[in-house]
Amino acid sequence: MTDGDIVLKAEDLHKSYADNKVLNGVSFEIGRGEIKVICGPSGSGKSTLLRCLNLLTYPDKGCVWLEGEEITEQTRDVNKVRQKIGFVFQEFNLFNHLSAWRNVSIALEIVKKMSKDEARKLAMEELRRVNLEEDAHKYPAELSGGQKQRVAIARGLAMNPVIMFYDEPTSALDPHLIGEVLDVMKKLAQEKLTSLVVTHEIGFARSVADEMMFMGDGTILERGPPDELISNPKHEIVKQFFKRINELYRREGR
Amino acid sequence: MPLGIFLAIVLAVARVYGNRPVSLLATGIVGLFRGFPAIVTLLIIFFALPDLGIFFSPYWSAVIGFILVTGTYQSEYVRGAIQSIDVGQSLAAQALGMRKLEEVVHIILPQAIRGALPGISNEIIYLVLYSSLASYIGVEEIFAVARHFNSLQFRPIEIFLTAGLIYASMATACLAGFRMLERKLRIPGLEVAR
Repeated sequence: MTDGDIVLKAEDLHKSYADNKVLNGVSFEIGRGEIKVICGPSGSGKSTLLRCLNLLTYPDKGCVWLEGEEITEQTRDVNKVRQKIGFVFQEFNLFNHLSAWRNVSIALEIVKKMSKDEARKLAMEELRRVNLEEDAHKYPAELSGGQKQRVAIARGLAMNPVIMFYDEPTSALDPHLIGEVLDVMKKLAQEKLTSLVVTHEIGFARSVADEMMFMGDGTILERGPPDELISNPKHEIVKQFFKRINELYRREGR
Repeated sequence: MPLGIFLAIVLAVARVYGNRPVSLLATGIVGLFRGFPAIVTLLIIFFALPDLGIFFSPYWSAVIGFILVTGTYQSEYVRGAIQSIDVGQSLAAQALGMRKLEEVVHIILPQAIRGALPGISNEIIYLVLYSSLASYIGVEEIFAVARHFNSLQFRPIEIFLTAGLIYASMATACLAGFRMLERKLRIPGLEVAR
């Protein structure tokens, strides 16, 4: 790996849980400023892939490089690696006992060793980026799903990551709250924040993704520019999948 | 009392997060002192330890014994509360690059201890009432004084009723303290509607 413009590269990742082969040889790379979308049916290994990439779990086989450094070596400090990757979960996973701004600032204090004042200032700035300045003092239980997810995005951004991962960030949201989260994600995409997004929001994929990858049976079945993949898939499973998604979209008028 | 709670937290964390030897040791301690009647623990510390060359005054024997008894009981409330915390909290902390200890101290325990408080307050009442056992190793506490007066004046109704009321008022004061603590630590938005 010499190419400095590749932020993340995965090669031949394999992962099994007991007899269940979840990842079966996944390889791809993301250049700086690129937005890549992963979609595919549930159980196809999308979440497991993300977790292997930031070492929340270890792949059984295969390598991952982050900014040219192999992070899958056992000797690496996983906490250093994870700091560089912003992770947004489907279920938000905000710290329930902390207010919105404390959710953003706590890792700055503990992990990045910033002073309380510095961390607070930065947290407020990040909340402004996701349009939540006014709700900074609210607790997670006082926020809507869309607001929670935006706090979670701010929490990831504050760590100044080299890449953001989004794991189905809108799948747990009411339809009328999805827009505010996607708007923030689009804005960040336009700022050229390198991102890997697991989502079924094909509208989002079409408008900002550089490449779309379709996962099935633990591998990438098909990949390409989103418009091409969505409207003209080659693989039979991919065809079926987008046919159903398109039907759903038409019915909802999105 | 705070030392007992501290011991409880250490034991619970050791059992949930410790490696095998650590968690086995903690499980052993909890199993042992939860299994012993409190009075036996006190008698062992005061009467048996001196045979091994370890001496404590009656007062300190009682203090150490009660810390062990209440700490091991409370550790189960804390352990239960830790295990009830959603795994997503832990994942989010890890994804931000927190070390295990940082995650436990800053993310898991603040939530778990809130959940364990009602159980802990229960245990604290037992602790107040158990303190009467200290009289058996010669600590001059309320119950010991009551028995002493009774042997002099033989008016059991008045004397033991008064002692009982003193215990009850101490327990009530502790409970009120815990109520206040629970209210103070309540997380906005998570209140149950009345």
